[in-house]
Amino acid sequence: MTKFLLLTKRELTERLSQKGFWYMLVLGPLVLLLSLFAILKAADQGKQELKVLIADPGQIMGHRLMAQEEKNVHYYFLDDYLEIKEFDKAKAYQEFDVLVELNEKVLNNKKCFVFYRDQLSPDIRIQLKFQVEKRMEELIAAQHSSLTEAAFRQIKQGFIFDFRDIKDPKNEAKEANAWAGFVIGSFILFFVGLYGMTIFRATVREKSNRIVEVLLASIRPEQLMLSKIVGIGMVALLQLLGWALILTLGLLFLQQTVFLDIFDPSNWGQATPQRLNPLSSLVFEQLNLSFLFIHFLLFFIASFLFYGALFAVLGARSGADADGQQFLLPLIFLVAFGIFAGIYAVYYPNTTLSAVLSYLPFSSPVLAFITLAKGASIVDYTTILLSLLVLLACALILLKLAGRWYKQSILKF
Amino acid sequence: MIKVAQISKSYQRKLVLDNISLEVPKGQIFGLLGPNGAGKTTLIRMLNQMLSPDAGQIYFEDQLLNEKHLQQIGYLPEERGLYKTMEVRAHLLFLAQLRGLSKQEASRHVDHWLVHFEIQDWKNKRIAALSKGMAQKVQFIAALVHQPKLLILDEPLSGFDPLNVELIMNEIKALKEKGTTIILSTHNMKSVDEICDHAALLHQGQLLALDSVIKLRQAHAKGRIFVRFKGNMLSFANALWTDFTLLEQKESTEGVFECILQLRGTSTVNDLMRSLQAQVAVEHLELLLPSMQEIFIDLITQKDKQHD
Repeated sequence: MTKFLLLTKRELTERLSQKGFWYMLVLGPLVLLLSLFAILKAADQGKQELKVLIADPGQIMGHRLMAQEEKNVHYYFLDDYLEIKEFDKAKAYQEFDVLVELNEKVLNNKKCFVFYRDQLSPDIRIQLKFQVEKRMEELIAAQHSSLTEAAFRQIKQGFIFDFRDIKDPKNEAKEANAWAGFVIGSFILFFVGLYGMTIFRATVREKSNRIVEVLLASIRPEQLMLSKIVGIGMVALLQLLGWALILTLGLLFLQQTVFLDIFDPSNWGQATPQRLNPLSSLVFEQLNLSFLFIHFLLFFIASFLFYGALFAVLGARSGADADGQQFLLPLIFLVAFGIFAGIYAVYYPNTTLSAVLSYLPFSSPVLAFITLAKGASIVDYTTILLSLLVLLACALILLKLAGRWYKQSILKF
Repeated sequence: MIKVAQISKSYQRKLVLDNISLEVPKGQIFGLLGPNGAGKTTLIRMLNQMLSPDAGQIYFEDQLLNEKHLQQIGYLPEERGLYKTMEVRAHLLFLAQLRGLSKQEASRHVDHWLVHFEIQDWKNKRIAALSKGMAQKVQFIAALVHQPKLLILDEPLSGFDPLNVELIMNEIKALKEKGTTIILSTHNMKSVDEICDHAALLHQGQLLALDSVIKLRQAHAKGRIFVRFKGNMLSFANALWTDFTLLEQKESTEGVFECILQLRGTSTVNDLMRSLQAQVAVEHLELLLPSMQEIFIDLITQKDKQHD
């Protein structure tokens, strides 16, 4: 046991003393946070600086907008026609990003064109439509009836046919959540794959520089293999915890600073009954991150033991690094299989194949998180726990078998 | 110290060791010899319990070899490596602790050997920064840092410059003086002649010879005799008659000759002495024993001829 701990400690300290570990620890989550920030920002219309020119020769809108203006989208009116070419080329219009063209018949044909210089996000499109449409409704209501705007909108409001799955009447199984779960589950496989490669390389290196011969004079091959998996697994876990800490702090920072307005009801505005950025809402509110994190750890440990044993055996069997790359391909396919299985399960969660995949050790981490992120029922949760147990059992059996294969291979040079 | 009893081992139906039995006496240096592929490494790995025999047993101090004995065995493999990113002292501490020493013991022993081999100034350097010879010293220390009763050295001299070869040879002799039993596997036959007490010669998994080095050399003596005499070369040649063949001759100083003779038929050294007494003044006469290198080559060649 002492020797096992000694070897595990060596694996751990060696990797902690490498600069790469610390770079990865800091840069990894920072890159992720930046990516997340970019995605959220791109999807968040409120943050984009836009100048919108409304060409309204009939002065139908009367230089008025119905709703409160968004902070970073500014509207300007032009009481004249404007040719598209002129808008595109003329120096005077270069400062405007969007041209909304309202002709005099707009109240009758209810059609207007919106010309943009750069692609507009869906939220910006919704916002533009919202601003113009509400003002038009106000005018139509005043022009054709004595109805109040509220009454007019109530009449105008169409019926909503909300199609829902009989097995999920509350519509808790949201697809966005499922995708978020898929990303988290894939993240497990990503980390396992990344550090599995470290196990592979460390084994190949020990074999090729022949230190293994010295080590095996003191310990059993199975112990050597397990210490490597556990030692490198602890490094992976440490990195993961570091990532979780930095990501949590980063998300809190973003929540309190950059994305402050979307959490503040006073900033929502009357005209926007829902938050405009569903992605922000998903990341910050809909996912139970602490609950997911506990399961992440459990599935990560079980997956790491499972895949780690495979990587160690492949490392022991291969004679050199270049040789080993070919051995790695099947394992990479297995990791990819887990990810593809996850995609399938997002689209077809209730099929027999999805049920089978949720128990398969190669795909169960991803499928479990798809279910967990959607908000698992008791039945679902039982399935998840069972799949975790299956994964653990498979990992233990594989470790036992891998120990034998490792022993047979490690001294063959 | 070590008793190997009827050991056999096969890899994928190929017999690598065929019913080998030998004993390594306590406190002696035992040469394990043989060409590449003879089965030496397999036998050494069995002694280190990395491999198990298909048949036969190994005894360590009359006990069946088990994991407990590993702490009393030191091993310097032929293909040896170190973790290049570790520092010298930390690496030695790690390996010493793996061999069962406590941290304090390991620390004390490591510091002693670092000073002994004059590499204490390098203790905080990474292995990657060491020269090949320096790294070899570290590996040598790693093999004996836990003061093993049995030290197995597989090609310990390879990679060393002549100065360090001398250093290691002296160290091996010193360890023997302290009572350590040493198994030396090497192709350096000069070192076998020089320091080994016993030797075993393996070839294609079979034991070709096993005895003390001196007995092996005597047993394989070819009846060659070195003679230094003062007198007339013609008289000397006449005295040899048909019982001895003159192989080599040279005049070392004026009137003093050195010759190598070959005994023929049933003639003996005594016959030679009697023949020469009346003719020349013999200053030195010595029965020439073959070197271990010659014995090695002869035995392997004979075996290969039988095989063909």
